[in-house]
Amino acid sequence: MLIPRKVKHRKQHHPGRDGAATGGTKVSFGEFGIQAITPAYVTNRQIESARIAMTRHIKRGGKVWINIYPDRPITKKPAETRMGSGKGSPEWWVANVKPGRVLFEVAGVDEGLAREALMRAIHKLPLKARIIKREEGDA
Amino acid sequence: MADDNKLTAEPRTQFGKGAARKIRALGKIPAVIYGHGTDPQHVTLPGHEVALIIRKANQVLDLDIAGKSQLALVKDVQKDPVHQVIEHLDLIVVRRGEKVVVDVPVHIEGESFSGTIVVQDANTVSLEVEATHIPERIVVNVEGAEEGTHITAADLELPAGATLQGDPELLILAVTTPAAPTADDLAADEAGAEAGESQAEAPADAAEESAE
Repeated sequence: MLIPRKVKHRKQHHPGRDGAATGGTKVSFGEFGIQAITPAYVTNRQIESARIAMTRHIKRGGKVWINIYPDRPITKKPAETRMGSGKGSPEWWVANVKPGRVLFEVAGVDEGLAREALMRAIHKLPLKARIIKREEGDA
Repeated sequence: MADDNKLTAEPRTQFGKGAARKIRALGKIPAVIYGHGTDPQHVTLPGHEVALIIRKANQVLDLDIAGKSQLALVKDVQKDPVHQVIEHLDLIVVRRGEKVVVDVPVHIEGESFSGTIVVQDANTVSLEVEATHIPERIVVNVEGAEEGTHITAADLELPAGATLQGDPELLILAVTTPAAPTADDLAADEAGAEAGESQAEAPADAAEESAE
């Protein structure tokens, strides 16, 4: 599971959810990718689950890239606790994904297999996404 | 250059985001043409035709700007990543016979030896070519290529008149055998799924200790 080795501040403000992705919006490494259409906090468990769904479907061959990293801690107060007494404890690690961001990429497998694998990964993610193909005009 | 890249460009007199948005609302694309020491020219291009042309890389447009013909190479495309709408084009002035340096896409054909996969390291290769004869793509045939095959930029078959720019040792693709998942990997997958909230605290605690 992806998790930062060291952090500067263990409790941070909530990452901003506004706007669209300004970088990482094209398929750069592989041939096909998953592009987010809606914003979301994607946890490290969801990333891992999507990766496993993808690699298990591909079985052998192919290469998978994960373009996002869950480097933002989200805190939570324990249940049935009165307000106050400081910020809650870190509960999740999330990647702050904005619309347009390419989350995963795949190469080395035929189009049908790649699309099915990516679709299985999309089902593990808390956002609306689409599968995109690398365009020659983007090169 | 394809023959059907002829477009009529209208000179633009109004600038700024307001004017650009009005142009986009009409289904057109604002663009700028510069290069060869000329003053930048602001133009409006037809949206649909341009979208069809720039699906391929390094297209040269034959523009008709108020009765004057002008060749221009597509240098940059600004696209909305979510809606896939072309927002703006940067065009660079080129002349017939002039040589330009462009990144040409590399396309892989064929299937490598059974049980191996082709890992493409570089998607484009930098070439110096005549502006009106830019190749659409460089094709690499990997039919029957065995494990350990490495193709570098120097191994590519370039079209006549094209010269390689940059590092000839640049790795374009490698043929490898994918590593089968070992028992350890599978165990790690399962352990990773089970490890839960306790891990979320771990690095933060470690960071605090190191600060003290």
